Amino acid sequence: MHIPDGFLDAKTAIATGMFSITGLGTALRRAERHVQSRKIPLIGLAAAFIFVAQMLNFPVASGTSGHLLGATLAAVLLGPSAAIIVMSSVLIVQALIFADGGILALGANIFNMAIVATLCGYGIYKILQIFFRGEQGRLVAVGFASWCATVIASVFCAGELAWSGTALWGTAFPAMAGVHMLTGLGEATITMLVIAAISKTRPELLEDNDQAVPANGRSTAFVYVALIVIGLLLLVAPHASPLPDGLEQVASSLGFEHKATEAPILPSPIKDYQLPGIPSAGTATIVAGVIGALAVFALSFLFARVLARRQKSAVHPSSPPNRQ
Amino acid sequence: MRHDFLDRYSRLDSPIHRLPTTAKLLSTLCVISATVTLHFTHAWFFIIVAGVLLILSALTTIPWRFLFGRLMVLEPFALGIAVMALFQENGVFVFLSILTKSTLCLFTVILLSNTAPFAEILLSLKRFGVPKLLITILALMYRYLFVLIDETERLNRARSSRTFSNSPIRKWHTMASLIGQLFVRSTERAERIYAAMSARGWK
Amino acid sequence: MNPAIEIRGLQFRYPDGKEALRGISFTIADGECVGLVGPNGSGKSTLLLHLNGLLPESLPKDPNVVVYGRALNKENAAEIRRDVGLLFQDPDDQLFCPTVYEDVAFGPEQFGLDKEKVKAVVTKALETTSLLGHEHRSPHHLSSGEKRRVCLAGVLACEPRVLALDEPTSNLDPRGKRNLIQTLKSIPATKIIATHDLEMVVELCSRTIVLDQGTIIADGPTHQLLGDEKLMLAHGLEKPHILRHVHPH
Repeated sequence: MHIPDGFLDAKTAIATGMFSITGLGTALRRAERHVQSRKIPLIGLAAAFIFVAQMLNFPVASGTSGHLLGATLAAVLLGPSAAIIVMSSVLIVQALIFADGGILALGANIFNMAIVATLCGYGIYKILQIFFRGEQGRLVAVGFASWCATVIASVFCAGELAWSGTALWGTAFPAMAGVHMLTGLGEATITMLVIAAISKTRPELLEDNDQAVPANGRSTAFVYVALIVIGLLLLVAPHASPLPDGLEQVASSLGFEHKATEAPILPSPIKDYQLPGIPSAGTATIVAGVIGALAVFALSFLFARVLARRQKSAVHPSSPPNRQ
Repeated sequence: MRHDFLDRYSRLDSPIHRLPTTAKLLSTLCVISATVTLHFTHAWFFIIVAGVLLILSALTTIPWRFLFGRLMVLEPFALGIAVMALFQENGVFVFLSILTKSTLCLFTVILLSNTAPFAEILLSLKRFGVPKLLITILALMYRYLFVLIDETERLNRARSSRTFSNSPIRKWHTMASLIGQLFVRSTERAERIYAAMSARGWK
Repeated sequence: MNPAIEIRGLQFRYPDGKEALRGISFTIADGECVGLVGPNGSGKSTLLLHLNGLLPESLPKDPNVVVYGRALNKENAAEIRRDVGLLFQDPDDQLFCPTVYEDVAFGPEQFGLDKEKVKAVVTKALETTSLLGHEHRSPHHLSSGEKRRVCLAGVLACEPRVLALDEPTSNLDPRGKRNLIQTLKSIPATKIIATHDLEMVVELCSRTIVLDQGTIIADGPTHQLLGDEKLMLAHGLEKPHILRHVHPH
């Protein structure tokens, strides 16, 4: 989901840049005020850890492999503010040293992957934890939250590409959301496996009171929520118009013209595409999203049960081996 | 997972390497900003930028194979997203415009990262007013990246020598467990680093 | 003249309940070089961490550690750290700055020295450890011997009166070991060296303390203790080859 330079226009880059500076700045201010100095090396090392974890290959189908994003993982392990700092640091180093993700696009990338993904993942995780407790409950929450976080971040990404005129919302939204509903499965699986592994060896690391930057802060929470809402309004909502030609209408009413004003040099291969029986690809994506969410939740539940059961048999070696 | 490529060429001795890092950072930003905002119909600009980049690359004495190798690794991602641009009015024009711009920007950053050591980039950022806490974290992160990569390689090797199946399910379990182990070790190492920092007066 | 280090009845128990030190007492004179030996788990590293106040995490009111006449407590712990330089076992834990120069300068900068003084102190430390010219190198490009030397330089730059070293020759090749021993010989500070390298102890330390399961088993002249085969074997050690042909008198 790293957007390279050249894909976003100036207004999008500046707007997302401001969101990122606000979000990261808030997280840093919170850390400066509340973090004990003994936790600072931990945050630095956690950033290195996420970076390395992202490099690892998870084989999917012949030749391709998936990778972990780690935003939700970081949020669960370190708390939301520390996680924002960690993910932002990873993205900054990736942009500056690896050219993975543009430099002017850093604003958008940090907003999508370090702020939106982290906060949504954390928020959904916390909400689910209210209803699902215990070892199994935590795994379900973590799995579902990381899937959602991945998909939501990709929707914001699509919104940014559409707002820049790089791609139509009708193309970007189904493509990004669709792809990430699949990659999100990997994210959920890996995150659940990692949390299960850690709780087997060092469960105390998963306790809330061990967070690097204490999570409770009303003004901080307010800023975070506000950022997401404003982002939604600016980047996503304009495209979600129910009218069939919604995008063109909104675009012209807001004064955003097509970038190329001369006659097309070459005819474009496909102008609009319709799926049979469904009004537009956008609606189809939303339907798929809802079904997907339910499916992922169910799968997380089942997987969590398997993992939790395996853990129990490992903790009590004297009990008869679990036949699976 | 070889990591020496990360910093192999950033301390060579060439006229470009010798330029101050701040200048390189600022000019990178200028080139990228101009490239991104200028309309693609001004083809002459992009040709000049490409030419200048090639001349600068030659001056850096970094092997061409390395520079273009880095470019080839990153192109597919840009391509993947750029393909979406085709599906609109004037799609091919937009597609070509984006691809050209992003390639030029990519190459500029590749030059920057290979002619300026990261430690110096951090110093420049500090001078520009980036918050001190973030600089500290970026510095620690960069420093321990290599340590963690080595540690991961060792853990991986130890696992592989006791793994006799190729099933992807096993692989996922192994990788996830490795990540878990890496996190636990990182927290323990962080404690020791804190002790070492305190021992030399850090508060 | 105040003794450099005085330990009186030091006890320490880890948070998980494991007892690490059970009533340790000894005194080290200014300028002495003392070897601290014992099997794995005997408490050597733990003891060193007490010398500059890193352990226990909350310093007690009744001080068990006295450094140059000053009892170690919460208020003066930071200051005493200038006097006691601790070299940790894993150089990667201690080398946390982006370049050699920055890392060696870390201590002096933390203590508030001005730029000129920092440069002077760093240069001297790099000279002692034969690292002049390496100021701009990044830690991940260094060999493990070089990393060790940078860590030592970083500690020396703080100009401590006591050097506490934890396994300084571990993971070094013979040349690296030789260089380190030569360097340590040239440093006049009081030294306490926790190590498995008994040959080095014979070469550097006139006095040795044998630790086992958190208690001091023996404390005396190196040749006498390390030459006592029965004593060595009883505590998970062995008589070093240098002393093979020496019999305790």
